[in-house]
Amino acid sequence: MIDPGTSIQRAAVLGAGVMGAQIAAHLGNAGIPVDLFELPAEGADSRAPARDAIDRLHKLRPGPLARPDVTRAIQPATYDLDLDRLAACDLVVEAVAERMDVKQALYRQIAPALGAATLFVSNTSGLPVGRLAEALPRTLRSRFCGVHFFNPPRYMHLVELIAHPQTDGNALHRLEGFLTTTLGKGVLHARDTPGFIGNRIGVFALCAVMRHAERLDLPFDLVDALTGPGIARPKSATFRTADVVGLDTFSHVVTHLHDTLTDDPWRDCFRIPDWLQGLLDTGNLGQKTGSGVYRKGKGGIEVLDPASGDYRPAEDRVSDGVRAALAKSDLSAKYDALAELDDPQAELIRASQRDLFHYCAYHLAQIAPSARELDLALRWGFAWERGAFETWQLLGWAPTAERLERAIEAGETLASAPLPEWVRERWREGVHGPRGSWAPDVGSWLPRSSHPVYQRQRFPARLVGEPEPRTPTLWQNDGVRLWDAGDDIAVLGFRTPMHAVNDAVLEGILRAIEVAERECRALVVWQANAPFCVGADLKAVRRARDGGNYAAIESLVGGFQEATMALRHCRIPTVGAPTGLALGGGLEILLHCDIRVAAMETYCGLVEAGVGLIPAGGGCANLARRAVEWSPDGDPWPWIQHYFEEIAYARVAGSASDARARFWLQGGDRVVMNADEVLHAARSAGLALAETGYRSRMRNQPVRVAGAPGIATLEGKLVNLHAGGFISDHDYTIGRCLAEALCGGRVEAGSEVDDEWLLRLEREGFMALARTEETGARIAHMLETGKPLRN
Amino acid sequence: MAIDDREAYVVAARRSPVGKAPRGVFRHTRPDDLLAHVIQAVLADQPDLDPAQVEDVIVGCAMPEGEQGMNVARIAALLAGLPDAVPGVTINRFCASGLETVARAADQIRLGEADVLIAGGTESMSLIPFMGSRPAFNPRIFDDADVAIAYGMGMTAERVAERWQVSREDQDAFALESHRRALGAQEAGHFADEIAPFDVVEQRPDLEAGQVVASRRRVDADEGPRADTSAERLAKLRPVFAARGSVTPGNSSQMSDGAGAVLLASGAAVKRYNLQPLLRFAGYAVAGVAPEIMGIGPVAAVPRALQRTGLAAEDVDWVELNEAFAAQSLAVMRDLGLDAQRVNPLGGAIALGHPLGATGAIRTATLAHGLRRTRGRWGMVTMCVGTGMGAAGLFERTD
Repeated sequence: MIDPGTSIQRAAVLGAGVMGAQIAAHLGNAGIPVDLFELPAEGADSRAPARDAIDRLHKLRPGPLARPDVTRAIQPATYDLDLDRLAACDLVVEAVAERMDVKQALYRQIAPALGAATLFVSNTSGLPVGRLAEALPRTLRSRFCGVHFFNPPRYMHLVELIAHPQTDGNALHRLEGFLTTTLGKGVLHARDTPGFIGNRIGVFALCAVMRHAERLDLPFDLVDALTGPGIARPKSATFRTADVVGLDTFSHVVTHLHDTLTDDPWRDCFRIPDWLQGLLDTGNLGQKTGSGVYRKGKGGIEVLDPASGDYRPAEDRVSDGVRAALAKSDLSAKYDALAELDDPQAELIRASQRDLFHYCAYHLAQIAPSARELDLALRWGFAWERGAFETWQLLGWAPTAERLERAIEAGETLASAPLPEWVRERWREGVHGPRGSWAPDVGSWLPRSSHPVYQRQRFPARLVGEPEPRTPTLWQNDGVRLWDAGDDIAVLGFRTPMHAVNDAVLEGILRAIEVAERECRALVVWQANAPFCVGADLKAVRRARDGGNYAAIESLVGGFQEATMALRHCRIPTVGAPTGLALGGGLEILLHCDIRVAAMETYCGLVEAGVGLIPAGGGCANLARRAVEWSPDGDPWPWIQHYFEEIAYARVAGSASDARARFWLQGGDRVVMNADEVLHAARSAGLALAETGYRSRMRNQPVRVAGAPGIATLEGKLVNLHAGGFISDHDYTIGRCLAEALCGGRVEAGSEVDDEWLLRLEREGFMALARTEETGARIAHMLETGKPLRN
Repeated sequence: MAIDDREAYVVAARRSPVGKAPRGVFRHTRPDDLLAHVIQAVLADQPDLDPAQVEDVIVGCAMPEGEQGMNVARIAALLAGLPDAVPGVTINRFCASGLETVARAADQIRLGEADVLIAGGTESMSLIPFMGSRPAFNPRIFDDADVAIAYGMGMTAERVAERWQVSREDQDAFALESHRRALGAQEAGHFADEIAPFDVVEQRPDLEAGQVVASRRRVDADEGPRADTSAERLAKLRPVFAARGSVTPGNSSQMSDGAGAVLLASGAAVKRYNLQPLLRFAGYAVAGVAPEIMGIGPVAAVPRALQRTGLAAEDVDWVELNEAFAAQSLAVMRDLGLDAQRVNPLGGAIALGHPLGATGAIRTATLAHGLRRTRGRWGMVTMCVGTGMGAAGLFERTD
């Protein structure tokens, strides 16, 4: 069978607006050549608008390009000159203006140019896919469907797949495989109803909060403080989310829902409040115009006061009672506490949550195959920590349903529609369970998809109520757990917050390696959740420093070196499998594995300089060694110079392919687009090594170093940066320690040293820096603010 | 003017156009080819002179390695078609190298050790980066006061701007004027006599045809002057050498590629071969200053050169002051009391470019043809030199 991931080799995107250009960028990130079409400009250079859109990709934040040169994969095109290019495309994504007439006219124009097997999809966010299909010739309709990306498409996991009655199952199958494995997205099948699943429910949730906020007369900033992480939603909460989306876009979706949902009992919720209309009328469209509900004032963030139309400083005025309730980690305890408060703030949360439950239960059967799609759409499309049904299920299905029913009867809810039968079934404990998620239209549990692409996802996003996958423990301590992933592959994960490395982790790595060498064929270092690892436990370093216990710091560093060297010389193949941040010591661990399999969204760098230190978990020694090994003539200099800059500036790669450009990833390392496939790919890579003549690296091989001349040349750069006021005295000191560690000390160029020599140098540099006041201040500042201190 | 048998005369001075580095017209052009071209040009200017009479070719180059390594003087002499019997030597005084060669050649002639010599300079900053492909500092410089040896030139310009209190506004205004004069001179055709147009031939792959395609393009003008520059645009540029500095890419000299050659002959040879002299070499001096303020070098060198030749600053009609940076140019002009109207009448390195070791020879050519055109008498070429030096050469028009 053809792998759906490789079945699409060339693509086109029609429409170079914000979404179209970013979808093209993401196709480029995945290594797919793309033609980006836009209307022609007047004059000689008719492709200029498309080209400008490609250029703008470099300036967008968050960056849509995994690496700046991705734009080379994107060719500007226009409908008047380049339609013949469409014939060679396996996939054509339409992303033009959200107007039925515009889209249908375009379809009629381009349909004859499409190849005989081309998949044609629309990135519509809500127009009926079936009606769009009507503009296509019959033969093309089977290869047409909706593919709804969320903005920004590189970062938002959700893609909704919307079929119409004539869409061919095979086409959907190919698309689902491609979107999942090649583009790394989370695909959900949605019914062809207005707003599909994500916007229908997500926008309702926002509107419901806005409605109750108005009723309870709560200011915008307070509402955002109440409806963010405290109730498992993102920090941008309600109004800030609208600002980020763009108030015009948000209003467009709301109006569209209002206009099309003529039978929806909650239709009245989808209306534009006066304050929002005011902002739209004055061109204050949110983040993209610099002001909307919020704006950046001189003294900090300011928020709109709808009564006066002026802005005032934003503040957090959550009442003590609500704050205490939201701080509770147990969900039932949290909502019980909220229920007892006679406080409009608590009422806002209670009421908007209750209406959301009501809305989801009422509409589920029409809009989604099962409750799974609804909950995952909120997680993947709106960055909620939990879906609506998951929260309901955690709170206890039946009692919550009873309370909801009473509220409906009492007329306290936004609509009086009755709850569907299935909600009140006596036996029901929830909508997610071992047999799948509830599908109300067929009245049964719907198991997870059997699409072969999901066999690569060993730990797909798990919903409340779904059983945990079996991961038999081979060995564990407080710092790490080693478990059996089948096929004699051992997986090592850390158990510390942010997977920071402390003494227990280091001790654990050593012991786990022994166990794995005895019982397994390969070892994968992988974490069940991002980040991969944020480096050494700075809190422990700070504690030891404050107590003057430098021996403890030296022991941590020595232990780190021992652990990375054990990884490097492990008798079985080792695979580093990162997703998310891999900073400092986290990257040092990766550098010491035999091979790396990284999710595209991996952000790595040796950032120790930011806290006044240098890499000393074997990192500098590793780079000094590879500098010679990678050099065809044994001259380490070009690599030393490169890594010196990366480390001295504490640069962080913006993606795994950026990490490749910075030579943190190497030729044999793999990058996978979907983070959920990392473990599968890492297992395969480990097995492949084990099956193909693996030998562990020899110890104590001599290393030729750049020596004193190398240090002098690097110091020449430091001198200029320092004299120009670009770096501080302490930066200079750090740079010099780094130069010494990377160059192997003040010896003749080409001198041969060994591992122990290099490790001692980086350790001594680290300890010398750790003893300085400036480094102490940097560490403290990082722990307190999360930002580096320049001193 | 009477020709003195024992004096040294410039009888021809030509230069290549100056290209921008590292992405300009000469980005693939070899510095030895440029040099051979200007050697041929000066010989062509005196067709009565048999090239076999040339007794040595003395060439300056600031980063003599790679494409301009080995002994680029000898290589270019052979490439230019000079007989095997004509030797060559490469010398290096950084940015003064090209002027130094003129002085060395003149001195040999004045000593009576030679009659006909070619001086010159060549530099490709596109092919060989500033400080060379692999800078390698002596570790000892970081231990004491010599640390400024490692300073980039821009850093030293910042130091000069600070110590001589040259404002950002003055630097930018000076830079703008440099462009204005250079554009005016180009417009008026004032560079036509000195520039030897060069045909750039590039071999590129024609992927569709599967063939190498040679393209040929005649370059006959300096690439540096910008008609689109303005006070506002210059003011927008950020300092690049110091976080809170005043030296920007706009008020610094441009990195460049180029070559120049100067044919010198004794008075006896001038008569013997019926040559037409342009300039008499009058004197030359060099002097050292602290490396961290290298840009002020001419302040030490110029008075020494004037004193040796018995001239005063106000006697000099035309000064070619290499604009390494506007900051040091202004500091030098103020300290020496130079008349801004007489300094770089056709613009300077901020607009025209500064191909390090070639600049001295190039600006000697500008001076020779400029004095002839304006009928001035005394001219000077002066520049600051990396690691803290200044150089100044004085000439008298003779045509």
